[in-house]
Amino acid sequence: MSAVAETISRPEAAASPAAVARPRKRASRGLLRLRTPLPRGWGPAIAVGASVAIVLVWEFVARLGLTTPLFFPSPTAILSAMGRMFSDQHLLWHAWVSTLRVWGAFLLAAMLAIPIGVAMSGYRVIGAALEPAIDFIRYLPVPALVPLAIIWFGVGEETKIFLLWLGTFFQLVLLVADDMRRVPQEYVEIAYTVGANQGQVLKDVAFRAMLPGLVDNLRITLGWCWTYLIIAEIVAADSGLGFVIWAARRYMKTPEVMAGVVLIGVIGLATDQLLRLIHRRAFRYL
Amino acid sequence: MTHLQFDHVTKSFGAVPVVETPFNLAIDRHEFVVFLGPSGCGKTTLMRMIGGLDQPTSGEIRLEGEPVGAPDRRRGMVFQSYSSFPWLTVTQNVAFGLKYRNDLSEDEKAVRAERYLDLVGLYEFSDHFPSQVSGGMRQRIAIARTLAAGADVLLMDEPFGALDALRREQLQTELRRIQRRDAKTIVFVTHDVEEALFLADRVVVFSKRPTRIVAEIDVRSRLGEERSLEIRDGEDFFALRRETIGMVRAAAGGEL
Ligand SMILES: Nc1ncnc2c1ncn2[C@@H]1O[C@H](COP(=O)(O)OP(=O)(O)OP(=O)(O)O)[C@@H](O)[C@H]1O
Ligand SMILES: [Mg+2]
Repeated sequence: MSAVAETISRPEAAASPAAVARPRKRASRGLLRLRTPLPRGWGPAIAVGASVAIVLVWEFVARLGLTTPLFFPSPTAILSAMGRMFSDQHLLWHAWVSTLRVWGAFLLAAMLAIPIGVAMSGYRVIGAALEPAIDFIRYLPVPALVPLAIIWFGVGEETKIFLLWLGTFFQLVLLVADDMRRVPQEYVEIAYTVGANQGQVLKDVAFRAMLPGLVDNLRITLGWCWTYLIIAEIVAADSGLGFVIWAARRYMKTPEVMAGVVLIGVIGLATDQLLRLIHRRAFRYL
Repeated sequence: MTHLQFDHVTKSFGAVPVVETPFNLAIDRHEFVVFLGPSGCGKTTLMRMIGGLDQPTSGEIRLEGEPVGAPDRRRGMVFQSYSSFPWLTVTQNVAFGLKYRNDLSEDEKAVRAERYLDLVGLYEFSDHFPSQVSGGMRQRIAIARTLAAGADVLLMDEPFGALDALRREQLQTELRRIQRRDAKTIVFVTHDVEEALFLADRVVVFSKRPTRIVAEIDVRSRLGEERSLEIRDGEDFFALRRETIGMVRAAAGGEL
């Protein structure tokens, strides 16, 4: 921390008389200065420390009997419920089924949204034609479309994939179109003046330029998929984490409900961190 | 022989006129023309129209007698903001200038890219990304990329703006040499009178808007074809420089 303060103190500070008090003031503000980088390794340490602290406080409050176990079970109770569910109720299998649904719908949405989004901002005609419809559907709440989905697809896998796809595709298209719009015009012009044709400009320049933003948007959209998954699995499923949570609720097994919720959180956190890591590795040049 | 010709060109962006007086100028094959003019008078706009990146509102620009169309490899451009692609290394950025040429083998392309990398003094930074090098170095990436691409017509918009004095002199000398050797037609924008006179066969001085040409200086007849750094210390150069600065002042309408 003091090392950071030292490197940013200007050389003329030593010369001016008022400067003597300044370095100490800086150091005391240290970590709370806007955009001050954290020393190496501090970021993860603070993240883990704070998370553990939250769990400990929760455990402590629950143990003191300040909450009813039925409403707010302790972390240890949730953990043992989760252990039981792993051994007796195929929790791992349910988690796997949910993950497959999420990724299936997500990939389907991404594979359609990327080319359509790129085309929408690359070619004004397509953008003008599609934008009103997409913007309209984007604002429809997914739960409102559940009955329609069931009428169309029954209660099989298609319904779930469809609902997830519905919740992500239309948002993603517009995000992709925005990423594409933000590609600097000059990149495109450079490519044209060295002889690239339209396809080459799209593939070698526009796509590469938008890739970091695109990966970030995909990561965020993947998170939304989990939200819609639970809705889909509560309404029409006999497998998956949403089903498990809903089934546990019927018998007021709060620790089991919480265990399902926590597991979704853990899967989400792990996926997100993994994708962030890939992002950092793949886009070192940023 | 005329290589590039502006024929009664005007340009407005929407309702905003940039070049309102019809603009006429003929540029010979293998001629080095420098545009000198106050900021905002439309130099970049004129260059972009030659490149095919903007279309004239009226009039025509002809390249080898044909109206210029969409941008292509015949007209290389160094942009004023000297962009490079952040996801490519310095070498890859330079090599991008050659990427779409089918007449060269991969080996020839690599050799060529390396040669221009060396020319602009970036050899030791070949594996760096643009975000890891200085602004002046990024400008040199753009210069090397455009030179490597090997267009007949080079459009250079203040390409040496961010360079230190030594590097500037070196690249000015090289550019003039390349222009003589490879017989290129060059349109070059600068605000630096000395740079203009050292490089140009002809300097075109612009007024502030409404833009028109206030003077054309035939540098070739005054300083000759061969330019070495010593020429800058000669009487002729000084006299010409004084004259030109006078014209630029007058053109700016006492705003300098
Ligand atoms: N795309 C655009 N839309 C609207 N106005 C524009 C556009 N491009 C340029 N202009 C206007 O045209 C005028 C000339 O701009 P231009 O960039 O050609 O000037 P310049 O001579 O290159 O100036 P500088 O020496 O500062 O680079 C400016 O007033 C600018 O605001
Ligand atoms: Mg300009």
